[in-house]
Amino acid sequence: MVEFRNVTKRYDNGTLALQNVNIKIDKGEFVFIIGPSGSGKSTLIKLILKEEDPTEGEVYVNGYEVSALDRYEIPYLRRSLGVVFQDFRLLPNKTVYENVAFAMQITEALPKEIRRQVPMALALVGLSKKANVYPSQLSGGEQQRVALARALVNNPSLLVADEPTGNLDPETSMEIMRLLCEINHRGTTVIVATHEKTIVDAFKKRVIAIDKGIVVRDQQKGLYKDEDKNCQIYN
Amino acid sequence: MKIRTAKYIIRDGIVNIYKNKLMSLASISTVTASLLLFGVFLLIAVNLDYNTRALEQLPQMQVYCDYELDDFQVKQVEEAIKGNGRIAEYTMVTKKEAFEKLKELFEDDPSTLEGYDESFLPVSFIIKLVDATESNEVKAELESINGVDSVECPQKTVDIISRFGYWVKIVSGFLIALLVVISVFIISNTIKLTVFARRKEISIMKYIGATDWFIRWPFVVEGVIIGLVGALIAFALTSYGYGALEVKFNEELARSSLGFIKLIKASQINFAIVVLYAFLGGTVGAIGSVISMRKYLKV
Repeated sequence: MVEFRNVTKRYDNGTLALQNVNIKIDKGEFVFIIGPSGSGKSTLIKLILKEEDPTEGEVYVNGYEVSALDRYEIPYLRRSLGVVFQDFRLLPNKTVYENVAFAMQITEALPKEIRRQVPMALALVGLSKKANVYPSQLSGGEQQRVALARALVNNPSLLVADEPTGNLDPETSMEIMRLLCEINHRGTTVIVATHEKTIVDAFKKRVIAIDKGIVVRDQQKGLYKDEDKNCQIYN
Repeated sequence: MKIRTAKYIIRDGIVNIYKNKLMSLASISTVTASLLLFGVFLLIAVNLDYNTRALEQLPQMQVYCDYELDDFQVKQVEEAIKGNGRIAEYTMVTKKEAFEKLKELFEDDPSTLEGYDESFLPVSFIIKLVDATESNEVKAELESINGVDSVECPQKTVDIISRFGYWVKIVSGFLIALLVVISVFIISNTIKLTVFARRKEISIMKYIGATDWFIRWPFVVEGVIIGLVGALIAFALTSYGYGALEVKFNEELARSSLGFIKLIKASQINFAIVVLYAFLGGTVGAIGSVISMRKYLKV
């Protein structure tokens, strides 16, 4: 599903963001990518979305060799996965319904399909009643749920969330995480980059810890802090 | 592209204009202002061209007979002119026609001509030469004809005016070209502001997998509509303003000694102006959109 092979990323300004990273995430998994700010989490997500290209090594996502994709192929890669960001990234000029529908319009989906799928996605995140409201009229948690609905409306097999709870209070964060878990139970692979200990500890999923660009831990049912002596360490 | 996508794109472009009212208004005003400026120069150039052409149509020479010639003698003069190989064409102005013209000239003050009739006016011939450079020789030949009183040769003035017109045309052509370039620059800059205000939106679209053209098209539609609306307003202003000016000016000119100068009728050029404005506004809007978006599509 997602695979990093000997990936090194060095930015133009000389910063070494990732160093010889090897990760393999299988279909149906739920994975936390953790680490302090500046550890390389975001770079990892950017490589999955092909916002950046690796300096060395290869990245595979949903059967695409991402590192070798041409510019015009990028939209199709991004359609095959759902993305959620810390700052929600909703279109301010579109209603909740239109925001979710937009993700289908760009794939030139049939209007019939759109009318069927969008209410379903909104129901899944519990926002059916706010369909005609603009994002600015929603709370942070609600906005993130719209973003989730948008990410899911095309039924992607992979959902990538970059600090999805970074702007939310603890209670709302938990709600969003529970939603992500539910989505995972339905068969979608979920990757969550976060630095929030409580969340990681509460869910006990696979944890990949990155520090200074190096994968320092890759552990099933892990916690935020490494307490298990038998953890797998790469490099 | 599928029809439903085209529909979506057009609707989105129109909705965006409405939702970004202030920016749209600013862009439309820029288009209107640029086109108006362009229109002023265009009208000056067109009118100069129109008038130099009209001046070139002026008679190259006018031959006045002695005014007491009888019909037979006039006929003889006419034969002499007809027989001259250097003369391309001629028209006779009878005493009656000359008097009519005179009456027109004194339309406002008919009392001046009281007591006069056509008999005191000479018959004359308006002559066009085969080759304008031979005017001196032809003039001498015509003066030697029996019964010819004088030969007038306004050719020199026409020459000067048409040479002047030629340079004015070149200069205004250059100014128009410059104005088009400046307009494209200003308009694409205004659109750049619209795009800049929405760069976040554009990057969001890119993140969820929209292709470049899917993002670009609504902006192009927006640019074209803004350009067309601006063009329409500019056209309304130009045609109204010029129409009023033309009527007033032509009245004044006809009354003055500059009666041979005439502004081109507004109705004659309205269609050309609306087409030109729409074309310029639309293209500039579209090109402006595409150019100003380039930077923000690289996500």
